[in-house]
Amino acid sequence: MTAAAAGDAAIGAPARARRMRTPNDSPLKILCLAPIVIWYAIFFGLPLVFLLWIGFWRVENYQSIPDVSLQNYQEIFQNWVVKSRYGLAMLQSFWVASTTAAIATVLSFLIALALVFAVPARRQRLALLFVIAPFWSSYVLRLYSWQTILSKNGVLNSMLKAVGLDDWRLEIIYTQIATRVGLVHFLTPVLVVILYVTVINIDRTLIEAARELGASRWQAFTRVILPLSRFGLITAASFALIMGLGDALSGALLGGGAGASVLGKYPLYSAMLMTDYASSTNLPRTSALATILVVAMVAMMALGVWVAERARRRVSE
Amino acid sequence: MIAGDRNPWPALGRVFLALSYVFLFLPLVLLVVFSFQANRFPGLPLQGWTLAWYEKMIDQGTLLPALGHSMLVSPAAATVGTIIGFFAAYALNRFDFPGKTVLLGIIALPILIPPLILGVAFLGLLARVHLNGTLFSIFLTHVVLVTAPALSVIQLRLSQMPRQIEEAAWDLGATELQTLMRVVLPFAVPGILGGWLLAFTFSFDEFIIAWFVSGFDQTLPVAIYSILVASMEPTLNAIGAIVFAISALVLIGIEVLLLPLLFRKDTEEA
Repeated sequence: MTAAAAGDAAIGAPARARRMRTPNDSPLKILCLAPIVIWYAIFFGLPLVFLLWIGFWRVENYQSIPDVSLQNYQEIFQNWVVKSRYGLAMLQSFWVASTTAAIATVLSFLIALALVFAVPARRQRLALLFVIAPFWSSYVLRLYSWQTILSKNGVLNSMLKAVGLDDWRLEIIYTQIATRVGLVHFLTPVLVVILYVTVINIDRTLIEAARELGASRWQAFTRVILPLSRFGLITAASFALIMGLGDALSGALLGGGAGASVLGKYPLYSAMLMTDYASSTNLPRTSALATILVVAMVAMMALGVWVAERARRRVSE
Repeated sequence: MIAGDRNPWPALGRVFLALSYVFLFLPLVLLVVFSFQANRFPGLPLQGWTLAWYEKMIDQGTLLPALGHSMLVSPAAATVGTIIGFFAAYALNRFDFPGKTVLLGIIALPILIPPLILGVAFLGLLARVHLNGTLFSIFLTHVVLVTAPALSVIQLRLSQMPRQIEEAAWDLGATELQTLMRVVLPFAVPGILGGWLLAFTFSFDEFIIAWFVSGFDQTLPVAIYSILVASMEPTLNAIGAIVFAISALVLIGIEVLLLPLLFRKDTEEA
Protein backbone atom coordinates (compact mmCIF):
# COMPACT_ATOMS: atom_id res chain seq x y z
CA MET A 1 0.00 0.00 0.00
CA THR A 2 2.65 2.53 1.02
CA ALA A 3 4.96 1.32 -1.72
CA ALA A 4 2.21 1.83 -4.28
CA ALA A 5 1.52 5.26 -2.88
CA ALA A 6 5.15 6.19 -3.18
CA GLY A 7 5.14 5.00 -6.76
CA ASP A 8 2.11 7.08 -7.59
CA ALA A 9 3.63 10.13 -5.99
CA ALA A 10 6.82 9.61 -8.00
CA ILE A 11 5.04 9.82 -11.33
CA GLY A 12 3.32 12.99 -10.13
CA ALA A 13 -0.19 11.60 -9.68
CA PRO A 14 -2.43 13.76 -7.48
CA ALA A 15 -2.58 12.89 -3.82
CA ARG A 16 -5.86 11.02 -4.10
CA ALA A 17 -4.32 8.26 -6.16
CA ARG A 18 -2.89 6.80 -2.97
CA ARG A 19 -6.39 6.52 -1.60
CA MET A 20 -9.10 4.05 -2.46
CA ARG A 21 -9.40 2.50 -5.86
CA THR A 22 -13.19 2.29 -5.52
CA PRO A 23 -15.47 3.79 -2.85
CA ASN A 24 -15.93 0.27 -1.54
CA ASP A 25 -12.25 -0.23 -0.90
CA SER A 26 -11.16 1.67 2.18
CA PRO A 27 -9.59 1.08 5.58
CA LEU A 28 -12.64 2.83 7.04
CA LYS A 29 -14.69 -0.27 6.28
CA ILE A 30 -12.90 -2.20 9.00
CA LEU A 31 -12.33 0.74 11.34
CA CYS A 32 -16.00 1.72 11.40
CA LEU A 33 -17.27 -1.80 11.90
CA ALA A 34 -14.70 -2.75 14.50
CA PRO A 35 -16.33 -1.05 17.53
CA ILE A 36 -19.71 -2.72 17.06
CA VAL A 37 -18.22 -6.12 16.26
CA ILE A 38 -15.92 -6.03 19.29
CA TRP A 39 -18.59 -4.76 21.70
CA TYR A 40 -21.11 -7.31 20.47
CA ALA A 41 -18.58 -10.12 20.68
CA ILE A 42 -17.65 -9.35 24.29
CA PHE A 43 -20.95 -8.16 25.71
CA PHE A 44 -23.45 -10.07 23.60
CA GLY A 45 -21.90 -13.18 22.08
CA LEU A 46 -19.89 -14.12 25.13
CA PRO A 47 -22.83 -13.79 27.59
CA LEU A 48 -24.94 -16.05 25.39
CA VAL A 49 -22.17 -18.64 25.35
CA PHE A 50 -21.96 -18.34 29.12
CA LEU A 51 -25.73 -18.79 29.40
CA LEU A 52 -25.52 -22.11 27.58
CA TRP A 53 -22.43 -23.21 29.47
CA ILE A 54 -23.51 -22.24 33.00
CA GLY A 55 -26.66 -24.31 32.48
CA PHE A 56 -24.39 -27.34 32.80
CA TRP A 57 -22.66 -26.21 35.99
CA ARG A 58 -23.19 -27.80 39.38
CA VAL A 59 -24.12 -26.13 42.62
CA GLU A 60 -22.49 -27.37 45.81
CA ASN A 61 -22.79 -25.59 49.16
CA TYR A 62 -24.32 -22.56 47.44
CA GLN A 63 -21.28 -22.33 45.16
CA SER A 64 -21.49 -22.62 41.39
CA ILE A 65 -18.86 -25.00 40.11
CA PRO A 66 -17.91 -25.21 36.42
CA ASP A 67 -18.77 -28.67 35.18
CA VAL A 68 -20.50 -30.52 32.40
CA SER A 69 -23.39 -32.01 34.29
CA LEU A 70 -27.02 -32.51 33.36
CA GLN A 71 -28.05 -32.03 36.99
CA ASN A 72 -29.97 -28.79 36.38
CA TYR A 73 -31.85 -30.11 33.40
CA GLN A 74 -32.71 -33.33 35.23
CA GLU A 75 -33.98 -31.35 38.18
CA ILE A 76 -36.08 -29.10 35.96
CA PHE A 77 -37.64 -31.92 33.98
CA GLN A 78 -38.30 -33.97 37.13
CA ASN A 79 -40.26 -30.96 38.39
CA TRP A 80 -41.88 -30.37 35.01
CA VAL A 81 -45.43 -31.06 36.21
CA VAL A 82 -44.96 -31.60 39.96
CA LYS A 83 -43.69 -29.33 42.77
CA SER A 84 -42.19 -26.33 40.94
CA ARG A 85 -44.27 -27.25 37.86
CA TYR A 86 -42.07 -25.54 35.29
CA GLY A 87 -43.93 -27.17 32.41
CA LEU A 88 -47.29 -25.85 33.54
CA ALA A 89 -45.80 -22.38 33.82
CA MET A 90 -44.53 -22.79 30.25
CA LEU A 91 -48.02 -23.78 29.13
CA GLN A 92 -49.52 -20.80 30.94
CA SER A 93 -46.96 -18.52 29.26
CA PHE A 94 -47.82 -19.76 25.78
CA TRP A 95 -51.55 -19.48 26.47
CA VAL A 96 -51.38 -15.96 27.89
CA ALA A 97 -48.83 -14.73 25.33
CA SER A 98 -50.71 -16.07 22.31
CA THR A 99 -54.10 -14.71 23.42
CA THR A 100 -52.46 -11.38 24.29
CA ALA A 101 -50.77 -11.27 20.89
CA ALA A 102 -54.11 -11.91 19.17
CA ILE A 103 -55.95 -9.23 21.16
CA ALA A 104 -53.17 -6.65 20.81
CA THR A 105 -52.81 -7.27 17.08
CA VAL A 106 -56.55 -6.90 16.38
CA LEU A 107 -56.79 -3.78 18.55
CA SER A 108 -53.72 -2.21 16.94
CA PHE A 109 -54.94 -3.08 13.44
CA LEU A 110 -58.25 -1.35 14.14
CA ILE A 111 -56.41 1.71 15.48
CA ALA A 112 -54.15 1.75 12.41
CA LEU A 113 -57.17 1.48 10.09
CA ALA A 114 -58.95 4.28 11.97
CA LEU A 115 -55.82 6.46 11.75
CA VAL A 116 -55.45 5.95 8.01
CA PHE A 117 -59.08 6.07 6.93
CA ALA A 118 -60.83 8.23 9.53
CA VAL A 119 -58.25 10.92 10.25
CA PRO A 120 -57.51 13.66 7.69
CA ALA A 121 -54.03 13.22 6.20
CA ARG A 122 -52.58 16.41 7.66
CA ARG A 123 -53.59 15.41 11.20
CA GLN A 124 -52.40 11.80 10.97
CA ARG A 125 -48.89 12.52 12.15
CA LEU A 126 -50.09 14.12 15.36
CA ALA A 127 -52.71 11.38 15.89
CA LEU A 128 -50.04 8.70 15.46
CA LEU A 129 -47.70 10.55 17.80
CA PHE A 130 -50.31 10.41 20.53
CA VAL A 131 -50.71 6.67 20.08
CA ILE A 132 -46.94 6.18 20.39
CA ALA A 133 -46.58 8.58 23.32
CA PRO A 134 -47.27 6.02 26.11
CA PHE A 135 -44.41 3.88 24.78
CA TRP A 136 -41.93 6.48 26.02
CA SER A 137 -43.19 6.38 29.58
CA SER A 138 -41.78 3.96 32.10
CA TYR A 139 -43.24 0.47 31.81
CA VAL A 140 -42.90 -0.32 35.52
CA LEU A 141 -44.77 2.85 36.39
CA ARG A 142 -47.53 2.13 33.91
CA LEU A 143 -47.99 -1.28 35.50
CA TYR A 144 -48.10 0.33 38.93
CA SER A 145 -50.77 2.70 37.65
CA TRP A 146 -52.79 -0.21 36.23
CA GLN A 147 -52.49 -1.85 39.64
CA THR A 148 -54.12 1.17 41.28
CA ILE A 149 -56.78 1.22 38.55
CA LEU A 150 -57.69 -2.46 38.62
CA SER A 151 -57.23 -3.32 42.30
CA LYS A 152 -60.17 -4.32 44.49
CA ASN A 153 -60.81 -0.84 45.88
CA GLY A 154 -59.01 0.89 43.05
CA VAL A 155 -59.98 3.65 40.71
CA LEU A 156 -62.36 1.64 38.51
CA ASN A 157 -64.18 -0.09 41.33
CA SER A 158 -64.50 3.09 43.39
CA MET A 159 -65.92 4.82 40.32
CA LEU A 160 -68.45 2.05 39.83
CA LYS A 161 -69.36 2.35 43.49
CA ALA A 162 -69.77 6.12 43.22
CA VAL A 163 -72.35 5.73 40.45
CA GLY A 164 -74.11 2.90 42.28
CA LEU A 165 -73.00 -0.01 40.12
CA ASP A 166 -71.58 -2.09 42.98
CA ASP A 167 -72.68 -5.32 41.32
CA TRP A 168 -70.39 -4.69 38.37
CA ARG A 169 -67.23 -4.73 40.44
CA LEU A 170 -64.20 -5.92 38.51
CA GLU A 171 -62.29 -8.74 40.19
CA ILE A 172 -59.48 -9.13 37.70
CA ILE A 173 -56.42 -7.93 39.61
CA TYR A 174 -53.93 -10.78 40.22
CA THR A 175 -55.42 -12.85 37.43
CA GLN A 176 -53.93 -13.40 33.99
CA ILE A 177 -56.61 -11.06 32.61
CA ALA A 178 -54.86 -8.19 34.40
CA THR A 179 -51.54 -9.51 33.04
CA ARG A 180 -52.99 -9.22 29.55
CA VAL A 181 -54.22 -5.67 30.17
CA GLY A 182 -50.71 -4.57 31.12
CA LEU A 183 -49.15 -6.38 28.16
CA VAL A 184 -51.66 -5.05 25.63
CA HIS A 185 -51.07 -1.54 26.91
CA PHE A 186 -47.33 -2.05 26.51
CA LEU A 187 -47.57 -3.60 23.03
CA THR A 188 -50.20 -1.42 21.37
CA PRO A 189 -48.00 1.62 20.53
CA VAL A 190 -45.35 -0.56 18.88
CA LEU A 191 -47.84 -2.69 16.96
CA VAL A 192 -49.75 0.38 15.76
CA VAL A 193 -46.55 1.77 14.22
CA ILE A 194 -45.91 -1.51 12.36
CA LEU A 195 -49.52 -1.75 11.16
CA TYR A 196 -49.90 1.96 10.35
CA VAL A 197 -46.90 1.75 8.04
CA THR A 198 -48.47 -1.35 6.47
CA VAL A 199 -51.92 0.16 5.91
CA ILE A 200 -50.71 3.60 4.75
CA ASN A 201 -48.62 1.94 2.05
CA ILE A 202 -51.60 0.13 0.52
CA ASP A 203 -52.26 1.66 -2.88
CA ARG A 204 -55.52 3.60 -2.50
CA THR A 205 -56.33 3.15 -6.19
CA LEU A 206 -56.70 -0.59 -5.58
CA ILE A 207 -59.39 0.06 -3.00
CA GLU A 208 -61.11 2.60 -5.22
CA ALA A 209 -60.95 0.20 -8.17
CA ALA A 210 -62.58 -2.54 -6.10
CA ARG A 211 -65.33 -0.14 -5.07
CA GLU A 212 -65.86 1.10 -8.66
CA LEU A 213 -66.19 -2.49 -9.79
CA GLY A 214 -69.00 -3.02 -7.33
CA ALA A 215 -67.38 -4.43 -4.23
CA SER A 216 -69.07 -3.53 -0.97
CA ARG A 217 -67.01 -1.83 1.72
CA TRP A 218 -66.75 -5.13 3.58
CA GLN A 219 -65.59 -6.94 0.42
CA ALA A 220 -63.04 -4.21 -0.27
CA PHE A 221 -61.76 -4.75 3.25
CA THR A 222 -61.61 -8.55 3.22
CA ARG A 223 -60.40 -8.92 -0.36
CA VAL A 224 -58.03 -5.96 -0.75
CA ILE A 225 -56.97 -4.39 2.54
CA LEU A 226 -56.70 -7.55 4.61
CA PRO A 227 -54.60 -9.59 2.15
CA LEU A 228 -52.30 -6.64 1.56
CA SER A 229 -51.84 -6.21 5.32
CA ARG A 230 -51.02 -9.87 5.86
CA PHE A 231 -47.27 -9.39 6.13
CA GLY A 232 -47.62 -6.53 8.62
CA LEU A 233 -50.11 -8.51 10.67
CA ILE A 234 -47.81 -11.53 10.87
CA THR A 235 -44.87 -9.31 11.83
CA ALA A 236 -46.89 -7.56 14.52
CA ALA A 237 -48.30 -10.78 15.95
CA SER A 238 -44.91 -12.51 16.09
CA PHE A 239 -43.37 -9.49 17.78
CA ALA A 240 -46.20 -9.44 20.32
CA LEU A 241 -45.81 -13.17 20.95
CA ILE A 242 -42.07 -12.90 21.59
CA MET A 243 -42.54 -9.91 23.88
CA GLY A 244 -45.36 -11.64 25.72
CA LEU A 245 -43.29 -14.78 26.30
CA GLY A 246 -40.31 -12.80 27.50
CA ASP A 247 -42.05 -10.31 29.74
CA ALA A 248 -41.92 -11.00 33.46
CA LEU A 249 -43.17 -7.70 34.84
CA SER A 250 -46.83 -7.70 33.94
CA GLY A 251 -47.22 -11.26 35.14
CA ALA A 252 -45.51 -10.41 38.43
CA LEU A 253 -47.19 -7.07 39.18
CA LEU A 254 -50.66 -7.38 37.64
CA GLY A 255 -50.89 -11.18 37.53
CA GLY A 256 -49.66 -11.31 41.11
CA GLY A 257 -47.18 -14.10 40.38
CA ALA A 258 -49.45 -17.10 40.07
CA GLY A 259 -52.50 -15.47 38.51
CA ALA A 260 -55.49 -17.59 37.52
CA SER A 261 -56.45 -18.23 33.92
CA VAL A 262 -58.75 -20.82 32.36
CA LEU A 263 -55.81 -23.21 32.71
CA GLY A 264 -55.55 -22.65 36.46
CA LYS A 265 -53.46 -20.70 38.93
CA TYR A 266 -50.00 -21.00 37.43
CA PRO A 267 -47.37 -18.27 37.05
CA LEU A 268 -45.94 -17.27 33.71
CA TYR A 269 -42.67 -19.02 32.91
CA SER A 270 -40.80 -15.72 32.76
CA ALA A 271 -42.19 -14.45 36.07
CA MET A 272 -41.42 -17.83 37.63
CA LEU A 273 -37.85 -17.68 36.32
CA MET A 274 -37.42 -14.31 38.02
CA THR A 275 -38.80 -15.42 41.39
CA ASP A 276 -36.87 -18.67 41.11
CA TYR A 277 -33.64 -16.72 40.83
CA ALA A 278 -34.64 -14.17 43.50
CA SER A 279 -35.36 -16.91 46.03
CA SER A 280 -32.51 -19.32 45.24
CA THR A 281 -29.83 -17.23 43.45
CA ASN A 282 -29.06 -20.54 41.79
CA LEU A 283 -27.57 -19.15 38.60
CA PRO A 284 -26.87 -22.52 36.93
CA ARG A 285 -30.52 -23.58 37.27
CA THR A 286 -31.72 -20.13 36.17
CA SER A 287 -29.44 -20.35 33.12
CA ALA A 288 -30.85 -23.78 32.30
CA LEU A 289 -34.41 -22.44 32.65
CA ALA A 290 -33.58 -19.49 30.37
CA THR A 291 -32.01 -21.83 27.82
CA ILE A 292 -35.17 -23.92 27.79
CA LEU A 293 -37.22 -20.76 27.15
CA VAL A 294 -34.96 -19.84 24.21
CA VAL A 295 -35.29 -23.33 22.75
CA ALA A 296 -39.08 -23.27 23.18
CA MET A 297 -39.34 -19.88 21.49
CA VAL A 298 -37.11 -20.85 18.59
CA ALA A 299 -39.11 -24.07 18.15
CA MET A 300 -42.34 -22.08 18.15
CA MET A 301 -41.06 -19.59 15.57
CA ALA A 302 -39.80 -22.44 13.37
CA LEU A 303 -43.21 -24.08 13.62
CA GLY A 304 -44.86 -20.79 12.71
CA VAL A 305 -42.65 -20.33 9.65
CA TRP A 306 -43.28 -23.96 8.62
CA VAL A 307 -47.08 -23.55 8.93
CA ALA A 308 -47.03 -20.24 7.07
CA GLU A 309 -44.88 -21.76 4.32
CA ARG A 310 -47.23 -24.73 3.93
CA ALA A 311 -50.26 -22.45 3.82
CA ARG A 312 -48.59 -20.31 1.17
CA ARG A 313 -47.69 -23.32 -0.95
CA ARG A 314 -51.23 -24.67 -0.74
CA VAL A 315 -52.61 -21.32 -1.89
CA SER A 316 -50.23 -21.04 -4.81
CA GLU A 317 -50.91 -24.57 -6.05
CA MET B 1 -66.25 8.38 -2.31
CA ILE B 2 -69.42 7.42 -4.14
CA ALA B 3 -72.05 10.15 -4.23
CA GLY B 4 -75.22 9.68 -2.26
CA ASP B 5 -73.73 6.81 -0.32
CA ARG B 6 -73.46 7.72 3.36
CA ASN B 7 -70.47 6.07 4.95
CA PRO B 8 -70.72 5.53 8.71
CA TRP B 9 -67.21 4.08 9.08
CA PRO B 10 -65.09 7.25 9.43
CA ALA B 11 -67.32 8.45 12.27
CA LEU B 12 -67.17 5.04 13.97
CA GLY B 13 -63.43 5.00 13.43
CA ARG B 14 -63.04 8.32 15.20
CA VAL B 15 -65.13 7.15 18.14
CA PHE B 16 -63.02 3.99 18.36
CA LEU B 17 -59.85 6.05 18.17
CA ALA B 18 -61.08 8.29 20.99
CA LEU B 19 -61.74 5.21 23.16
CA SER B 20 -58.28 3.88 22.33
CA TYR B 21 -56.73 7.15 23.47
CA VAL B 22 -58.62 6.83 26.76
CA PHE B 23 -57.21 3.32 27.21
CA LEU B 24 -53.68 4.42 26.32
CA PHE B 25 -53.59 7.54 28.47
CA LEU B 26 -55.69 6.47 31.44
CA PRO B 27 -52.80 5.07 33.53
CA LEU B 28 -50.55 8.01 32.72
CA VAL B 29 -53.11 10.69 33.57
CA LEU B 30 -54.31 8.97 36.74
CA LEU B 31 -50.77 8.52 38.00
CA VAL B 32 -50.06 12.22 37.69
CA VAL B 33 -53.44 13.26 39.14
CA PHE B 34 -53.07 11.04 42.20
CA SER B 35 -49.54 12.26 42.80
CA PHE B 36 -51.21 15.52 43.84
CA GLN B 37 -54.11 13.92 45.73
CA ALA B 38 -54.28 13.25 49.44
CA ASN B 39 -55.72 9.73 48.95
CA ARG B 40 -53.65 6.97 50.52
CA PHE B 41 -54.98 4.56 47.87
CA PRO B 42 -55.90 6.00 44.48
CA GLY B 43 -59.69 6.00 44.04
CA LEU B 44 -62.82 8.02 44.48
CA PRO B 45 -63.76 10.22 46.25
CA LEU B 46 -60.85 12.61 45.76
CA GLN B 47 -59.59 13.96 49.04
CA GLY B 48 -58.03 17.25 48.02
CA TRP B 49 -54.79 18.51 46.55
CA THR B 50 -51.45 18.09 48.30
CA LEU B 51 -47.73 18.00 47.72
CA ALA B 52 -47.22 15.60 50.63
CA TRP B 53 -46.15 12.68 48.41
CA TYR B 54 -43.41 14.76 46.83
CA GLU B 55 -42.07 15.72 50.26
CA LYS B 56 -42.26 12.12 51.36
CA MET B 57 -40.46 10.97 48.25
CA ILE B 58 -37.62 13.41 48.92
CA ASP B 59 -37.36 12.13 52.51
CA GLN B 60 -37.80 8.51 51.52
CA GLY B 61 -34.21 8.11 50.43
CA THR B 62 -34.02 5.42 47.71
CA LEU B 63 -36.00 6.81 44.80
CA LEU B 64 -34.06 10.02 44.21
CA PRO B 65 -30.63 8.35 44.40
CA ALA B 66 -31.98 5.73 41.99
CA LEU B 67 -33.10 8.49 39.64
CA GLY B 68 -29.57 9.88 39.93
CA HIS B 69 -28.11 6.48 39.03
CA SER B 70 -30.39 6.24 36.02
CA MET B 71 -29.44 9.73 34.90
CA LEU B 72 -25.82 8.61 35.03
CA VAL B 73 -26.12 5.21 33.37
CA SER B 74 -28.62 6.01 30.61
CA PRO B 75 -26.93 9.08 29.07
CA ALA B 76 -23.58 7.27 29.21
CA ALA B 77 -24.96 4.11 27.59
CA ALA B 78 -26.86 6.16 25.01
CA THR B 79 -23.75 8.17 24.14
CA VAL B 80 -21.46 5.16 23.67
CA GLY B 81 -24.21 3.24 21.86
CA THR B 82 -24.79 6.18 19.52
CA ILE B 83 -21.09 6.57 18.73
CA ILE B 84 -20.72 2.86 17.97
CA GLY B 85 -23.98 3.00 16.05
CA PHE B 86 -22.91 5.99 13.96
CA PHE B 87 -19.72 4.40 12.71
CA ALA B 88 -21.45 1.10 12.03
CA ALA B 89 -24.31 2.87 10.24
CA TYR B 90 -21.81 4.73 8.07
CA ALA B 91 -20.03 1.51 7.14
CA LEU B 92 -23.27 -0.34 6.48
CA ASN B 93 -24.57 2.53 4.39
CA ARG B 94 -21.46 2.93 2.25
CA PHE B 95 -19.77 -0.43 1.92
CA ASP B 96 -20.62 -3.82 0.53
CA PHE B 97 -19.00 -6.89 1.96
CA PRO B 98 -19.70 -10.60 2.26
CA GLY B 99 -21.95 -11.48 5.20
CA LYS B 100 -23.54 -8.04 5.39
CA THR B 101 -27.06 -9.42 5.77
CA VAL B 102 -25.93 -11.79 8.49
CA LEU B 103 -24.25 -8.92 10.33
CA LEU B 104 -27.43 -6.83 10.06
CA GLY B 105 -29.40 -9.70 11.54
CA ILE B 106 -26.97 -10.12 14.43
CA ILE B 107 -27.02 -6.39 15.16
CA ALA B 108 -30.82 -6.50 15.51
CA LEU B 109 -30.76 -9.59 17.77
CA PRO B 110 -30.46 -7.86 21.19
CA ILE B 111 -33.82 -6.19 20.49
CA LEU B 112 -35.49 -9.46 19.52
CA ILE B 113 -34.13 -11.66 22.30
CA PRO B 114 -36.24 -11.12 25.44
CA PRO B 115 -34.35 -8.95 27.93
CA LEU B 116 -35.10 -11.59 30.57
CA ILE B 117 -32.77 -14.02 28.80
CA LEU B 118 -30.15 -11.34 28.19
CA GLY B 119 -30.31 -10.46 31.88
CA VAL B 120 -29.50 -14.02 32.95
CA ALA B 121 -26.79 -14.23 30.30
CA PHE B 122 -25.14 -10.95 31.28
CA LEU B 123 -25.20 -11.95 34.92
CA GLY B 124 -23.45 -15.21 34.07
CA LEU B 125 -20.59 -13.40 32.36
CA LEU B 126 -20.31 -10.47 34.77
CA ALA B 127 -20.41 -12.65 37.87
CA ARG B 128 -17.54 -14.63 36.38
CA VAL B 129 -15.36 -11.51 36.14
CA HIS B 130 -16.74 -10.06 39.40
CA LEU B 131 -18.24 -7.02 37.73
CA ASN B 132 -21.83 -7.74 38.73
CA GLY B 133 -23.64 -5.49 41.16
CA THR B 134 -22.23 -2.22 39.94
CA LEU B 135 -23.63 0.66 37.92
CA PHE B 136 -20.75 0.13 35.51
CA SER B 137 -22.02 -3.35 34.68
CA ILE B 138 -25.47 -1.97 33.89
CA PHE B 139 -23.82 0.56 31.60
CA LEU B 140 -21.86 -2.17 29.78
CA THR B 141 -24.95 -4.25 29.11
CA HIS B 142 -27.20 -1.33 28.23
CA VAL B 143 -24.82 -0.26 25.48
CA VAL B 144 -25.55 -3.57 23.72
CA LEU B 145 -29.27 -2.99 24.11
CA VAL B 146 -29.34 0.60 22.80
CA THR B 147 -26.84 0.37 19.92
CA ALA B 148 -29.27 -1.22 17.44
CA PRO B 149 -32.09 1.35 17.87
CA ALA B 150 -29.62 4.26 17.63
CA LEU B 151 -27.98 2.68 14.61
CA SER B 152 -31.27 2.21 12.77
CA VAL B 153 -32.26 5.86 13.19
CA ILE B 154 -28.83 7.09 12.05
CA GLN B 155 -28.92 4.72 9.09
CA LEU B 156 -32.31 6.13 8.13
CA ARG B 157 -30.76 9.59 8.03
CA LEU B 158 -27.62 8.49 6.17
CA SER B 159 -29.69 6.72 3.53
CA GLN B 160 -31.09 10.15 2.63
CA MET B 161 -27.60 11.51 1.98
CA PRO B 162 -26.77 11.88 -1.73
CA ARG B 163 -23.59 9.97 -2.59
CA GLN B 164 -22.28 12.94 -4.57
CA ILE B 165 -21.72 14.99 -1.41
CA GLU B 166 -19.06 12.59 -0.23
CA GLU B 167 -17.53 12.18 -3.69
CA ALA B 168 -17.35 15.95 -4.08
CA ALA B 169 -15.44 16.23 -0.81
CA TRP B 170 -12.98 13.52 -1.94
CA ASP B 171 -12.46 15.21 -5.30
CA LEU B 172 -11.76 18.50 -3.57
CA GLY B 173 -8.94 16.82 -1.71
CA ALA B 174 -10.41 15.87 1.64
CA THR B 175 -9.22 12.61 3.10
CA GLU B 176 -11.82 9.96 3.84
CA LEU B 177 -11.60 10.62 7.54
CA GLN B 178 -12.00 14.36 7.02
CA THR B 179 -15.00 13.70 4.82
CA LEU B 180 -16.51 11.46 7.46
CA MET B 181 -16.05 13.96 10.26
CA ARG B 182 -16.75 17.23 8.41
CA VAL B 183 -19.31 16.25 5.78
CA VAL B 184 -21.08 13.05 6.81
CA LEU B 185 -21.21 13.75 10.54
CA PRO B 186 -22.88 17.19 10.23
CA PHE B 187 -25.39 15.75 7.78
CA ALA B 188 -26.20 12.94 10.21
CA VAL B 189 -26.71 15.22 13.24
CA PRO B 190 -30.54 15.02 13.30
CA GLY B 191 -30.29 11.23 13.07
CA ILE B 192 -27.64 11.12 15.76
CA LEU B 193 -29.71 13.22 18.16
CA GLY B 194 -32.86 11.22 17.40
CA GLY B 195 -30.92 7.98 17.82
CA TRP B 196 -29.48 9.17 21.11
CA LEU B 197 -32.93 9.99 22.47
CA LEU B 198 -34.24 6.61 21.40
CA ALA B 199 -31.23 4.93 23.00
CA PHE B 200 -31.67 6.95 26.17
CA THR B 201 -35.31 5.89 26.43
CA PHE B 202 -34.47 2.21 25.92
CA SER B 203 -31.92 2.36 28.70
CA PHE B 204 -33.86 4.64 31.05
CA ASP B 205 -36.89 2.33 30.96
CA GLU B 206 -35.00 -0.97 31.00
CA PHE B 207 -35.87 -3.04 34.02
CA ILE B 208 -35.06 -6.69 33.90
CA ILE B 209 -31.42 -6.65 32.80
CA ALA B 210 -30.72 -3.98 35.41
CA TRP B 211 -32.57 -6.12 37.98
CA PHE B 212 -30.34 -9.13 37.34
CA VAL B 213 -27.09 -7.22 37.02
CA SER B 214 -27.46 -4.50 39.65
CA GLY B 215 -26.68 -4.89 43.32
CA PHE B 216 -27.30 -2.16 45.83
CA ASP B 217 -26.86 0.58 43.24
CA GLN B 218 -30.26 0.30 41.66
CA THR B 219 -31.52 2.16 38.63
CA LEU B 220 -34.91 3.82 38.90
CA PRO B 221 -37.10 1.06 37.41
CA VAL B 222 -35.47 -1.48 39.75
CA ALA B 223 -35.95 0.77 42.79
CA ILE B 224 -39.60 1.32 41.84
CA TYR B 225 -40.09 -2.42 41.44
CA SER B 226 -38.59 -3.21 44.85
CA ILE B 227 -40.95 -0.72 46.51
CA LEU B 228 -43.84 -2.02 44.46
CA VAL B 229 -43.51 -5.66 45.46
CA ALA B 230 -43.48 -4.59 49.12
CA SER B 231 -46.53 -2.31 49.13
CA MET B 232 -48.52 0.27 47.25
CA GLU B 233 -46.86 3.57 47.95
CA PRO B 234 -48.28 6.91 46.80
CA THR B 235 -44.72 8.28 46.70
CA LEU B 236 -44.46 6.20 43.53
CA ASN B 237 -46.99 8.55 41.96
CA ALA B 238 -44.72 11.48 42.77
CA ILE B 239 -41.61 9.90 41.25
CA GLY B 240 -43.81 8.70 38.39
CA ALA B 241 -44.94 12.23 37.60
CA ILE B 242 -41.30 13.35 37.51
CA VAL B 243 -40.30 10.45 35.26
CA PHE B 244 -43.21 11.17 32.92
CA ALA B 245 -42.03 14.78 32.72
CA ILE B 246 -38.60 13.54 31.62
CA SER B 247 -40.23 11.21 29.10
CA ALA B 248 -42.36 14.06 27.77
CA LEU B 249 -39.21 16.10 27.14
CA VAL B 250 -37.68 13.16 25.29
CA LEU B 251 -40.89 12.76 23.32
CA ILE B 252 -40.85 16.40 22.23
CA GLY B 253 -37.25 15.89 21.14
CA ILE B 254 -38.31 12.84 19.16
CA GLU B 255 -41.18 14.72 17.56
CA VAL B 256 -38.80 17.46 16.43
CA LEU B 257 -35.96 15.17 15.31
CA LEU B 258 -37.16 11.67 14.63
CA LEU B 259 -40.59 11.89 13.03
CA PRO B 260 -39.49 14.21 10.20
CA LEU B 261 -37.02 11.46 9.31
CA LEU B 262 -39.66 8.78 9.36
CA PHE B 263 -42.16 10.77 7.33
CA ARG B 264 -39.40 12.20 5.19
CA LYS B 265 -41.43 14.90 3.44
CA ASP B 266 -39.50 17.91 4.64
CA THR B 267 -35.98 16.45 4.53
CA GLU B 268 -35.17 17.07 0.89
CA GLU B 269 -32.53 19.62 1.69
CA ALA B 270 -29.57 20.41 -0.54
